[in-house]
Formats: sequence, structure tokens, C-alpha cells
Amino acid sequence: MPTVRRFSRCCLLALAVLALPAPAALAQVPGVTGDTILIGSFGPLTGPNYLFGKLVMNGVEVVYNEVNKQGGVNGRKLVLVREDDRCDPATAIAAVKKLIFQDQVFMINGGGCSNAAIAARPEIEQAKVPWVVFAAVADEVTLPTSPYIFSTALAASLESYAQLDFALSHGAKKVAIVSQRDAWGRSRYGPLQEAFKKKGIAPVADEEMPADANDGTAQVLRVRQAGADAVIMLLYPKAAAIFVRDAQKVGFKPILIGQTALSDPLAFREQVGVPGALDRFFTVNQMRYTPDDPQVEKWRTLVQQYFPGDRLSVYNLFGIGSAQVVVEVLKRAGRDLTREKVRDELARLTGFETTVHPGPVTCTETDHQCHKTPAWIQLVGDKIQLVAVTPVQR
Amino acid sequence: MLAYLIVSGLTTGSLYALMAIGLVVVYKATRVVNFAHGELFMVGGFLAYTLHVLVRIPYGPALVAAVAATLLLGLVTERLAYRPLIRAPAISLVLAAVGFSYVLRGTAREIWGGRGDYIPFPPLVGAEPIAVGDVVIVPQQLVVLAGALVCMALFGAFFSWTRAGKILQATAENPRAARLVGIRVERVYAFTWGVGAAAAGAAAALMAPLTLIYPDVGAVLLVKAFAAAVLGGLESLPGAVLGGFAIGLVENLAGGYLHTSLQDVSAFVVIMLVLVAHPSGLLGAARVRRI
Repeated sequence: MPTVRRFSRCCLLALAVLALPAPAALAQVPGVTGDTILIGSFGPLTGPNYLFGKLVMNGVEVVYNEVNKQGGVNGRKLVLVREDDRCDPATAIAAVKKLIFQDQVFMINGGGCSNAAIAARPEIEQAKVPWVVFAAVADEVTLPTSPYIFSTALAASLESYAQLDFALSHGAKKVAIVSQRDAWGRSRYGPLQEAFKKKGIAPVADEEMPADANDGTAQVLRVRQAGADAVIMLLYPKAAAIFVRDAQKVGFKPILIGQTALSDPLAFREQVGVPGALDRFFTVNQMRYTPDDPQVEKWRTLVQQYFPGDRLSVYNLFGIGSAQVVVEVLKRAGRDLTREKVRDELARLTGFETTVHPGPVTCTETDHQCHKTPAWIQLVGDKIQLVAVTPVQR
Repeated sequence: MLAYLIVSGLTTGSLYALMAIGLVVVYKATRVVNFAHGELFMVGGFLAYTLHVLVRIPYGPALVAAVAATLLLGLVTERLAYRPLIRAPAISLVLAAVGFSYVLRGTAREIWGGRGDYIPFPPLVGAEPIAVGDVVIVPQQLVVLAGALVCMALFGAFFSWTRAGKILQATAENPRAARLVGIRVERVYAFTWGVGAAAAGAAAALMAPLTLIYPDVGAVLLVKAFAAAVLGGLESLPGAVLGGFAIGLVENLAGGYLHTSLQDVSAFVVIMLVLVAHPSGLLGAARVRRI
């Protein structure tokens, strides 16, 4: 009799276990448990480009931590897994492989450097893991459109179009280009040429300057000789600082138009080091606010709280905005989470306002470059002022 | 435009020349190209920045202190990366120097890298250019050019007129003979690395006000300095100076009159042509083998 009773109990227990459908379903979704969602991130955590990885991820983590404090997304806490790609394509491939196959993350919120992100793209695409790019801006990261890849960073091509629009809207008649022709520079230079063609005009001077140039004399003299009244700079801060400094030396003062690599005018002014050199300098900010804006006080405090010693930077803001998009689509995808649901929610995210983007974040089935509203800023005295927020189209 | 391009080219060229002097000094004595030379330059720049900008020591003493400190660092390089491998194949020495350069770069990133990507150095004189007729002269460039020329003259005087300089030259010419006459060759090698590093430190302290300092700045300048040294003959100090000026001028004139896309490549095209016509470089002694 006791044996029969024990057998009956075992059968009942087995039936009860079989009657629970949730764990069986969840086990099929990588990175999702009953109370957590594993989200992977990759970008440079070390080396000279750590700003595009470590700081952006710090911003992401601040948002996830705050969401977790409120109970998480649909009852699940968000757990961020970081991988260092050092901006190196080969390392980035290894990093995403580890995230997808070893850590088994549910989705990815990362990609700091364009070259590394481009290299990582096929792995992510093949594994059908939703990926929200947070900082890499080269068009090749998001084009051709892949069902699982979306970006909250302003694409390089859109910035180039915006630069020319800005020059012309400020009355420039003779626009020159000074560009570095590495992968980063070419990802902007090509679209800028297209933008010129579409407007039916040509640059009056088209000069090259290496990213590590120590002298911009030749470039400055050629652009001045061409009579340019606006110069579009597709340059990293160092080369741009040398160009602006050398232009100032010979008294050449056109409208200087920067892009997101120069989105910290205070730091840029310090690098240029010549008073008044930035009086006619305008640049793109991917975010509506600069780190010292009172509007981002909450984030400033939280970044310092979670990462003592860090000062809020624009790179933190990239991560904050991107993480808010991730949280929103996870919410919309509901408790019964699948990668396909997240993909579909991303593809119909329309007019979503983060607390940091200059305009609404909008993705469609065919357009996964979801950030299309650059903010234009200028340094006035010691204050960075918002000059314009202008949606841009190719 | 021509005058301005020439002044600018000579200024940049003088700094390439100073760096090339350091490379040549070490190569002449040890037959090793010091691939950590660019990083010694970088450390020199950061030291000048620390002393002048952060500690607020006047520029002159800061330059001297930075040069002295890089001299010491050169001695350390020799002790750590060269002396233990003195009898090893040349490739081991090259790899040791490359490894040491990474150590220096990483250390600099830890110490100074957190302050931002690129660190500016304040101008030494007023930024306003002076117009002399049609020619615009930038005082900053003239000061740097003059400083570089003074440094070169001091190095020249050291090698020609001082006992230590002559010992260095003698050891470089024939280490075995130098040993036979009682010169402590190992000590001379160490000093050679120190002097080479000091040249890089001087170049960095002078170049800092014209550019920005960052942990990777040395890599690019090493290529230019090496090119200058090769152009000059690799074993000739006057050749290194000539090579440096030539590269600075060619870069600027090609950039100004042909196109800026040719700026970087032009110097190397000239080097190639010179080496095809004169394989030992502009002032290098032709190697003659008697049969």
C-alpha cells in the first residue's frame, strides 16, 4: 500500500510539473528567465576610444538600473553583459560570438565604433538577435536594412546632408570640404558628395587632411584661396583643432561646420587654444542637451551615483537614449517575450520621445536609422547654446 | 603663399630632424632602430605639459627638465629593452623596443589619457600673425623653428667638441677599437640611448605648442623621423637634419601646390626617388667592398 501511495504521489507531482507551461517556453528564449533579461553590449572599454564604449555603456546601465529599481520590465530585471572590442573588427566579431553563443544574451544594445560594428554585423544578423546600435554611425552598420538591426545613433550620411543644409541655410555661397579619408571620413564624405550633387552645386575646395596631422597650413591656404565662406569639416577633433588653429593664424574666418566627433565645443575650444577661433563654429550634437545642461541634472546625479568619479558626458547620453528605446520595446513586446516580437516592436516604433534625443525616434519596416533630428549647437561665451533642431532627409 | 608654406615646412621639418637625430645616434652606435623612439617623444611632450601647464614652471626650465627626464628614460629603455638582449638577434631587439613602446603608451594613457583625447599646450607667444609685405609670419612658428635650430646646434656641438660626444662617435665608428683603447662600451651604449631619447624629448617639448599631445602621437612622428633619417643616410647626423627639413618642405609644398591628398605620400615618393638614385641616402657614405 505505501508503495502504491508513493507511486500515486509521484504521478501527481509529474502531472503538476507538466502542467506548468511557462518554464518550458522560456527555456527556448535565450537570455530570458522568469525574472531577468540578459542584454549584451560590445564596444571599446579600454584604449583611446573607450569614450564610445565604456561611457556609452555606463549610460545604458544607469537606465537599466533605474528601470530595475522600479521592478524591471514586465517583471523582469535587465542585466547588462559588457564585452570589450577595443574598436577592433576582429575583436568585435569574437565579442559578439561570445555574447550570442556563450552568454546567450536575448538582444544586443551596443556597437561603439563603426569599423567594429560593421565587422560584427554578419554574426548578429545570422543569429537573428535584435540589435539596437547605440553609437556607431557608419551607414554600413544599418544599411542595407536588416530585419534585426536598428540604430538610435544619427547615421553618418544624415549628418553629412545636415551639414550642407546648415551651410546653405546660413547664407554660404562657396562651401569647401576638409576631410580625413579613412573609413570614418569616407562614410561621411561619400554622402556629402551626394548631397552636393542633389543640390546641384560643387564644393569650391575639396581638401584632405590626415586624422593625425600636425600642420594644416596647406589645407588652410588652399581653402582660403578658393574663397570659401563655409568649411564643412569631416575631421576628428585633433585634425579639426589644427585646421581651425592654422586658419586663425592667417586670419581666415569662414563659417566652420562640424559634426558629432566635435560635439563638445568646450573641449574643442580648449584644444584649439586660440581665443575667438570658434566664433563662427557650429556643430552637430546627437543629443538635445549638452552634459552641463540643467535639463539632464537627473542623469548627471545618477551617473555619479553609479559610477563614482565619472562626470556626465555626451557619450553617457548616447547610452541613456538608446537604453530608453530598448526598455520601451521590451515593454511593448510584453511578458511573453521573443526576439521576433522585439524586432516587430522596433520596426513600428514611431515618434518615441526619449529624454535626451533632439527629436522623436522613429523606425519603420524599411528604415532602421531611427534618429533623424540633429541638434545644432554653438559656443557662446562659456555656454553651449542650441541653435536649431532640424529633421534631415536624404 | 609660397613664403608661408616654406616657413611652415621648415618648422615641421626641424622637428622631424630633431627626432631623426635621436634615431640616428642610437642606430650608429648600436645598429638598432629604436622603435620606442616615438613613445619617448610622446613622454617628453607629456612631461613638458605637466611641468609647464600643470606645475606652472616657465617654459624654458620645463623644456630642460623634460629633456633631462627623457634622457633618463632613454637610459631605462637601454637597461630594460636593449642590454639584456645585446647578444640576441636584431629582430629580438626590435621586438623588445616595440614591446617597450607599448608599455610607455599604456602608462601614458593611465597617467594622462583620462584627461581627454587630445591635450592642448598653450602657445609660447602671441597668436596674432605679423604681416611683412605680402608675407605673413606666425611668431609661434619662428620661436619653435629657432628653438629647434638651437637644439640641433647644441647636439652638433656636443658631438664635435665635447669628450663625451667624441667617445660616442668613436664607439659608433668601431666598438672593438673603442674597447681596446679603454672605453667602457656598454656605458657608452647606455648614454647613446639617453642622448637619443633627449633629442626626442627636445622635439616633443618644442612641437607641443604647435600640435596636441596624446598617447599615440609618437607613432606617426616616428614614421616621419625614420623617413628623414633614411633620406639623410641613416648614419649621418647632418643627413638626418637635411632629411627632416626636406620632408617638411616637400610635404607642405606638395600639399599647397599640387593637392592636399598628396601631402603625406609626396615625401615618401621623394625618398624613393632619392634612394633609387643614391641608395645610401643624401649624405650616407656609400658602402664599398674591396675584393
